[in-house]
Amino acid sequence: MIDKDFDLTRRSFIDHVLKASAGAGMAAAAPWAAFAASAAPGQKDRVRLGVIGTGDRGRTLIRNIAKTRNCAVAAICDDYEPNLVKGRALVPGGTPAFADHRAMLDAGGIDAVVIATPLHVHAAQTLDSFDAGVHVWCEKAMARTIADCSAMVKRAQDRRKVLQIGHQRMFNPTYLNALKRVKAGEIGPVTQIRASWHRNTSWRRAVPAGSDLERKINWRLYRDSSAGLMTELATHQLQVGNWFLEAPPTRVIGSGSICFWKDGREVYDQVALVFDYAGGRKLVYTSLLNNARYGCEEQIQGSKGTIEPELGRIYQEKPPGVPALRKMGEDVQAGRKRPVPIGGATWFPELPVTTPGESLGWGEYDETMLQFEVFGEAVRSGVPAPGLLRQAYHASVTSLMGEDAMDSGRPVDWPSSLVDI
Amino acid sequence: MGTRIELHLFGTAEDGSMIEARRAIEAVDDALTIHRPSPTTALNDSLAAGSPAAIDDPLLFDALVEIDHAYQAMEGLFDPAADVSTGGAGWNMVLFDREDARIRALRPLALDFGGFGKGFALDRACDVLRRADRVSALLSAGESSIAVVGEHPLGGRWPFAIPHPLQPDRILLELELEDSALSISSTVGEGTYAPDRAPMIRPGDGTIVTGRRTAVACARSGARAEMMSTALLVADGDQAKRFLDGEPARRFLFDFTGETGISVPPAETVIR
Repeated sequence: MIDKDFDLTRRSFIDHVLKASAGAGMAAAAPWAAFAASAAPGQKDRVRLGVIGTGDRGRTLIRNIAKTRNCAVAAICDDYEPNLVKGRALVPGGTPAFADHRAMLDAGGIDAVVIATPLHVHAAQTLDSFDAGVHVWCEKAMARTIADCSAMVKRAQDRRKVLQIGHQRMFNPTYLNALKRVKAGEIGPVTQIRASWHRNTSWRRAVPAGSDLERKINWRLYRDSSAGLMTELATHQLQVGNWFLEAPPTRVIGSGSICFWKDGREVYDQVALVFDYAGGRKLVYTSLLNNARYGCEEQIQGSKGTIEPELGRIYQEKPPGVPALRKMGEDVQAGRKRPVPIGGATWFPELPVTTPGESLGWGEYDETMLQFEVFGEAVRSGVPAPGLLRQAYHASVTSLMGEDAMDSGRPVDWPSSLVDI
Repeated sequence: MGTRIELHLFGTAEDGSMIEARRAIEAVDDALTIHRPSPTTALNDSLAAGSPAAIDDPLLFDALVEIDHAYQAMEGLFDPAADVSTGGAGWNMVLFDREDARIRALRPLALDFGGFGKGFALDRACDVLRRADRVSALLSAGESSIAVVGEHPLGGRWPFAIPHPLQPDRILLELELEDSALSISSTVGEGTYAPDRAPMIRPGDGTIVTGRRTAVACARSGARAEMMSTALLVADGDQAKRFLDGEPARRFLFDFTGETGISVPPAETVIR
């Protein structure tokens, strides 16, 4: 794609975001969307970002940062040399590279950091960055513990710095349009969300023979460094659940197990949880790593219809009418009277609807770019985009309370000691 | 009911009667369903436990009165009661006291109104429309249960054509209705192939009806049309003849046993 095409696509994308965020109730439900769509970042004096972590995800972020109009990678950092080498290949020659994030912070020359490291070090790197006077964009989930999530929020507030977490669905126009249609009452009151992220993969990465890097490379598989499916996958969808149900859950019950991949890992390879929300509403969540049939989806279910944003479809509960009877109505309108054929199917099993539904509209785009442009504008002004951090904080807490419920085998209530945002 | 209901009103502008008719149908569903808690499931709990029960719900009471009356008239061939252990039918094991609105069973039983509920619901909706002076309306419950109010909007009777269940491009039967109801019951055809659909059970001995039949019944009441089409479907030769002889223009039974998709004139298959 040439630059002009890309710019047109970007304009179209932002135009869609703007349209989606203009609906009734959207200003309160997605206040960052209007901020994002109306931002007009210039191309000069780009915000200088130091990227901590240049593994697969970090390098994807570097590519997205390069598409923005207001951000540039000014330094990179990784304590695993092979990743740092790959990171260097994506940035201009001479870009400073570090093996330790504190050295990068001490060197200066950056306005903010982008953290794409294992979960358990997010909090320390974030706090160090705030103490060094720079803003922070951090990958989801926020941190390994709820206490660490809260500490990150508190330190951002104390230092008056921007803390933004990578929940890109909040910038996705399909999700925004889905929310707009929910707000317009198209699927009736939402009473249940059924969400799943099913993959068929071990999640295990190859470790160099003879090395002691197992826990470093496969950090997602060990409890010290990850809550597994809950923090790496579920947190995205739990954010969507909280967003569409307009509040965090009140309680969760759950069960997790290492059922298929009995390879020494410590985190569950399948989880099933029920999150309670005010008014009896529920989010039913499953994730597993040995069957991909049902993939990744959030089924947002109301009394009048269902939205599946990953598929980009909306389905109405009311089935289409009987063709013969519809034709009879047309005949009457036209003054024709003829026999009405009847006697077809008499019984409709309550099976999954196989009708295609309707498109929610709007094609693919990498919304990660837009969230970096928003971050860039927030760093320039020193004011975070409204609503984002609250969504992310609550999503991380939701995923971690789910882990707690599975580990303890008991219902876990929403914590009462969170930081106000 | 697991059935799609359609209401088509013609003539005067909508006056709220459509909504009232819909609510009448929903009220019947709420009272008679066995797929979620309802007065009927509460009654079934009592009957299964061998306990007497008071019928407090007026719709359930009316339905039981209708069934109790029809059970005798249809020689026991429409039977909504099933023995809990054997699955065999058994309204004759039910003691229904209309005066005191109480019921009990001589052995553990459960009620399943099945298609009767569709006709009964259409009757209630038709009553609403007639009270609202609607002069022309068609109501459909899953296409196998039809009721019409008044004349066709273009005048005269409502014409219907019932397709041949084995050869959908052929017409099995054409008939006309006015201010009455129609029910089709069949052991063959597209609608009978739904997964997990329960087979038709013959009251009395509890055997499955294996014959390939389609029965059609017309009546002023949708509930009675439903019960009669069911009774015709399970009737033996003598019973069917008695029912058909009484109403030759309103009851029909087609037997496709042995038919393998070869065209057979409908007249040759009507048992009369």
